[in-house]
Amino acid sequence: MSYRTVNELKVGGIMVVLEEPIKGVIELKNYIDGEWVESEASETRDVVNPATLKKIARVPVGHREDVKAAVDAAKDAFPRWRRTTPLSRARYLMALKQLLEENFEELGRIVTMEHGKIIDEARGEVRRGIENVEMATGIPSLMMGYNAEDISRGIDEVLIKQPLGVFACVAPFNFPFMVSLWFMPYAVATGNTYVIKPSPWTPLSTMKLVELIDEAGFPPGVINLVNGEVEPVSEILENPGIKGVSFVGSTKIGRDVIYRNATSHGKRVQAQCSAKNFLVVTPDADVELTVSSLMSSFFGNTGQRCLAGANLVFVGDDQGLMDKTLGVIKERAGAIKMGYGLEEGVQMGPLQAEHRKKRVLGYIESGLEEGATLTMDGREFSCDPYPETCFLGPSIFEGVSLDMTIAREEIFGPVMSVLTAEDLNEAIGMVNSSSYGNAASIFTTNGGTARRFQYDVECGNIGVNIGTAAPMAFFPFSGMKDSFFGDLHGQGKDAVDFFTENKVVIQRWP
Amino acid sequence: MLRTTSQIISHHAGLERGSAEGYRKLAERYPDNQDFFNMLADENRRHMERVERAYRLGVTDAYEVGITPTQLDPGNYALEEFSGESLEEDSATALRNEETVIRFCLDAAKTSGELLPDLPDTFDYLVKRKKRRVELLRSLT
Repeated sequence: MSYRTVNELKVGGIMVVLEEPIKGVIELKNYIDGEWVESEASETRDVVNPATLKKIARVPVGHREDVKAAVDAAKDAFPRWRRTTPLSRARYLMALKQLLEENFEELGRIVTMEHGKIIDEARGEVRRGIENVEMATGIPSLMMGYNAEDISRGIDEVLIKQPLGVFACVAPFNFPFMVSLWFMPYAVATGNTYVIKPSPWTPLSTMKLVELIDEAGFPPGVINLVNGEVEPVSEILENPGIKGVSFVGSTKIGRDVIYRNATSHGKRVQAQCSAKNFLVVTPDADVELTVSSLMSSFFGNTGQRCLAGANLVFVGDDQGLMDKTLGVIKERAGAIKMGYGLEEGVQMGPLQAEHRKKRVLGYIESGLEEGATLTMDGREFSCDPYPETCFLGPSIFEGVSLDMTIAREEIFGPVMSVLTAEDLNEAIGMVNSSSYGNAASIFTTNGGTARRFQYDVECGNIGVNIGTAAPMAFFPFSGMKDSFFGDLHGQGKDAVDFFTENKVVIQRWP
Repeated sequence: MLRTTSQIISHHAGLERGSAEGYRKLAERYPDNQDFFNMLADENRRHMERVERAYRLGVTDAYEVGITPTQLDPGNYALEEFSGESLEEDSATALRNEETVIRFCLDAAKTSGELLPDLPDTFDYLVKRKKRRVELLRSLT
């Protein structure tokens, strides 16, 4: 599928959208031990394109037995896979990388259909996922241990990194393709076997990913897919065959369900959770650069990402800077075209589901009730000719204070809350007052100010003149406080460490 | 208006395809210059693929791909049909079309500067290549 394959599908007689890769309604199955199999659960949930409200798939709600079967297959495959050399394992990933490139466009369009994000964002997500596969192909060197000769006379000490067994991930709806690739490539590259459980809201790009895994020739049982909701997750957390769990989602689930249950069953856990990200603008900021970054951060992906801007803080009493910056933002945000992400001129897609929109609407009401001034109302944007069920335009609240709900809680939608701070100290204090510590950014042309910010702010991902501080695959996706539970993050060397055990050998040969 | 990076890529592809189509027609119409026009058409395809590759390999959700800082009007970059009655007339049309594509590449390079790492450089590279084509077309007549 090429970029230039444009289907002359007219919507409302005026617009042209890219060809949809999913035709009809797909009945989703699990992929266990190299076979596509029915779930033990008979109940299903509809997967709906949030822009058109067309049903595109039915996904089983899942059953504990599905996970048990997947874990059994992964356990059986582990001894052979572990003995497959790291170089050979990397070559399977290289084959997968090639297939992902060949199917790049189709994957992007599937992400748009199941999630709603615009095609540029969806392609960006696919690229981010592929980068993790690329990173993991370096496992022959990434997995090397180290040694010291003659720690005592004639005695050497060696550290080797070994796989542990079966790992699993519980993936979120907001980056349906990318997030399982924060974990899985590193897990299998290091010699573990794997179970993926995608979000039941957005399972289709993962299904396509697993089809490509099958095509790449991974041995049966090395990578397994189980669809579903609560029951499969409970089994993943409790099954003694699973050594570790990776999770991305809300703090409530990540901390209270995933982290607590999985650790109580002796598993390793990395739970990347909610956020409330502050973007701080200092008086010496470059307005043009700042505005572009802010637009993308607050309204990109329709605000549904844990690195999205939430609170915009202006430092100092330069009302002119604030008016100018907000003026340009409002002008650009006001011109944002909402619609179906497969229509190329669309700049903002819908929220992923109706209940997510209702949640954001609740926060808009809360902001109004608590006295903030709504200077741009996302409820007034048009998404014609698409049904407005899941659509919500950008909203801007001014006069926000830290005690307001909209300034404290994660909204997960295109809502900007504008605050002011007297000086940098107060701004940093505001950032650090949040229970979350996922990301924060500063916009300044002063190196000292930037350094002070990155030094003092209690967040895992820091942006300096960057609105969305998304770490590349070769760095960990960091996070602290209520935004992360565990010790080692996804991506990068952290991922290699999470999926391996360090074994130390002290040896003396007579 | 072209509001997103995806639109810029698609519009560029459309220009290269349209340009190639025109040169294929000229290759049939002027057998003495068949190889030359086919060479230009082949190059159009390579230019299109080069831009698509730069986009595909550079696009990430961290960059501002969905909102271009300057919106381009596609109507400003329309190609003319080849309807001349001589090689001179059609070459003049080809020159105007090349200038149109060069103008688009220059504007696209400028507006994509904040979007993706390699896209502006790729458009700038195409401008250089296309200026050489302009010289070749001029030498034809």
